[in-house]
Amino acid sequence: MIILKYLLLIFLGVTAYLAISFKEILISIIFLSIFSIVLTALYLIHNAPDVALAEAVIGAGLNTAIFMTVISQIRADEDCHCRKDD
Amino acid sequence: MSRLKHISIVIILAFLGLIMLLDLNKIPNQFEYANSIYHHITNNAVGETGSLNFVTAILYDYRAYDSMGESTIIFGAVSGIVLLLSRKTLPVSSHGLSFIVKRTYGMLTPFIFLFSVYIIAHGHLSPGGGFQGGVILGAISIIFSIVYGSEFDYKRYTPTTKTLLETSGALLFIGIGLIGIIYSGSFLSNLNILNSEPGSLLSAGSIPFINLGIGFKIGAGLAIIFYSMIQKTFKEEASL
Repeated sequence: MIILKYLLLIFLGVTAYLAISFKEILISIIFLSIFSIVLTALYLIHNAPDVALAEAVIGAGLNTAIFMTVISQIRADEDCHCRKDD
Repeated sequence: MSRLKHISIVIILAFLGLIMLLDLNKIPNQFEYANSIYHHITNNAVGETGSLNFVTAILYDYRAYDSMGESTIIFGAVSGIVLLLSRKTLPVSSHGLSFIVKRTYGMLTPFIFLFSVYIIAHGHLSPGGGFQGGVILGAISIIFSIVYGSEFDYKRYTPTTKTLLETSGALLFIGIGLIGIIYSGSFLSNLNILNSEPGSLLSAGSIPFINLGIGFKIGAGLAIIFYSMIQKTFKEEASL
């Protein structure tokens, strides 16, 4: 169990670094979602199922949906401006 | 310049991590003091509140007033976002995803709803509670807008209904608190109504009712936030 704990901690750091190192925002959002899932597993290992449930629902589910919607909105806005300029 | 910036960021982060590690080592062990809050809660929480889940016992019984402050913050956030972003136009989106996704999500929805109601209703017995179950309730509405297009959920489950659900959840919470003043003299004290032995569904006094109120409030509030956020875009798309 202790090996799994440290593996998950290393993976947490790797996903956090990958989330900020890409220029494409969509990839960053996906890595943030993976980060939340790894964090959920860590909370579960540390005997905090309440926080794990909240993190799984909010971090991996809701945040991803809201970020995706915001990204699609921003891109729709940019497309609108391009069409107006043309 | 950029290399220097990177190196300085790494040094500062390592320094902060070292300080945090030293601080964490200075936190006293919870077993050290005989009269600490840890011992009080592990020994007396089931007898005092009837809730088997001590996290819910702390959130909605010992520290219920703090939870009311948190839900007030969410109410303020919902009000602010609706005030800034909400438009009166009906959102017209694309027609959603394909037929297969629509049917699959339609078949899955009752089970997701059942799971969220289970988490809310068993908040005092198993991990979870009003907040987590409420977020799943809100997520049902959000996935509906992605899978079926935003018009589908908007017409069946209007913002008026959502606002009604949210405010009724908040009123249930505050109402239980006010009844506590009449019943035993302090705000949000445990009412001990419908109490059977700890471990059954109708135990823990007023904690399940507060869970129900928080669940409705959070679910409807998140759905309101999401729908007022997407409303703006679709109005602009329609004007093109």
